[in-house]
Amino acid sequence: MPALCNLEFPARWVDSDQFEMALQRSSGPHQPDVREVVFKFPIGCKVMVDAAVRLLSLANQLNHTFRRVRLEFDEGEAGVMGYFNRMGFFDCLAEDIEVTPDRPFYSSASLFRGTSDSLVEIASINPADRIAVQNVPGRLADALVNACSRRKDIKALEKAAFTVFAELISNILDHSSTRLDGFAVLQLYKRKKRKTGSLKVSVSDSGIGILDTLRPALNTTDPALAKLTDTELLVEVIRQGISRHGKTRGQGLKGSAKQALKYHAQLDVRLPQSRIVLIPSRTGYEPHKAYSYGDLPLIWGTHISFEFDLT
Amino acid sequence: MRSMNEKSATLQLFDFMGGPDGWGRPRGREVFQELLRGIEEHPGTTVFRVSLKRVQRIDISFAAETVIELAKRYRKEKGFCLIDVDNEDQLEHWEAAAVKQSQPIFVWMDGKSRLIGLQPTKGTARALEFVIKREKATAAELASALKTPVNNASTKLKQLWEKGFLLRRQTVAASGGIEFVYFRIA
Repeated sequence: MPALCNLEFPARWVDSDQFEMALQRSSGPHQPDVREVVFKFPIGCKVMVDAAVRLLSLANQLNHTFRRVRLEFDEGEAGVMGYFNRMGFFDCLAEDIEVTPDRPFYSSASLFRGTSDSLVEIASINPADRIAVQNVPGRLADALVNACSRRKDIKALEKAAFTVFAELISNILDHSSTRLDGFAVLQLYKRKKRKTGSLKVSVSDSGIGILDTLRPALNTTDPALAKLTDTELLVEVIRQGISRHGKTRGQGLKGSAKQALKYHAQLDVRLPQSRIVLIPSRTGYEPHKAYSYGDLPLIWGTHISFEFDLT
Repeated sequence: MRSMNEKSATLQLFDFMGGPDGWGRPRGREVFQELLRGIEEHPGTTVFRVSLKRVQRIDISFAAETVIELAKRYRKEKGFCLIDVDNEDQLEHWEAAAVKQSQPIFVWMDGKSRLIGLQPTKGTARALEFVIKREKATAAELASALKTPVNNASTKLKQLWEKGFLLRRQTVAASGGIEFVYFRIA
């Protein structure tokens, strides 16, 4: 009998931490014996963008591997499903994936795209269609400017954010070797009572994973680096700018992390079976300020989120 | 700021980009090809001043594939410097790209230069400073200023030329022999 994998989210805010917890409570949707995967969203469940794009990539991956996939929204469009519709989640979700009660009748992302000052709808990143994504970093950076126009350092922040967005999307286009689309999204979260907020930008792809592309090259070019753990190697990628293409390349993640550091952004990188959260310190991202999680349930690709504190 | 006697031209990077934003290696390579065509329209020109006017947002990959790649490719033959840089944040990207490519690039602002990317060695730093101030110099002039043997001064200048800090042209010395005049990229 084909195995069913249930992935049940809690009736609260779901960020990438909560997403991982739900995934770990499940039997692992990519397990070879799993033939059907159900994602359950109870009443009161609210999903943040970092978790949303990882979920989107995962669901599409499972569908791509011929599993039956269903998303169950207990609250219907009045709940998180309505928010997913607004961010363009269903526009990017593989057509074969079932949705209950029903897929939205119309796409509110298509209807209202570009009109929010706190949300940049999910942009699909298809490595075969670079022209279509050419304006995505600019749109994300423009949204940031609109959302934070009162900040004195907005000009600098805009340029830093543009770099982060551009480099992350370039990573998907150049390195992920993926047949499935990648995604980028941005959401500003305002804490009204404290008049503060944070901005999350998340980029997700279903490729072979940033370290998996790097390690084979390092085995010949720099065996010492090749021996590092995933956490240590990722920190070195960010600090030194290591690339499989040699010493003149590898500025992507380093450059975006440097810009993100200026604004004390937290960096969360999910690799196929590990995850690293880097907390900024005064001198940069350091290995001892990194939280690493190994032996996680498989998700293909690289999923990167920056969270900028906008105090 | 401009070197005397050297043919120079200004390239507006914005015009080659077709817009204020540029990112990614593929787009950088396209703009690089456009820049190459732009350079070919100036035969005999040795110094190209790349203006960043109206260029709003770029990333490091784009910087690396465009002007930095040009400077690297034409090293010893043509020089490229940046002008009209109006923000420090963008300059950081140019610098990161230049460092990674081991390419020195002069940035000129209000008649003053700033060197980003590869830096001169301790042994050649004074020689470079001398040429930057003088606009151009021969080994004999440098040797006289630094009170060092001419062959030593000549070696320093040659090293700076080979690494892309300076350009040079061959002239006939007063003695009738051949000598090189080294000049700054400005």
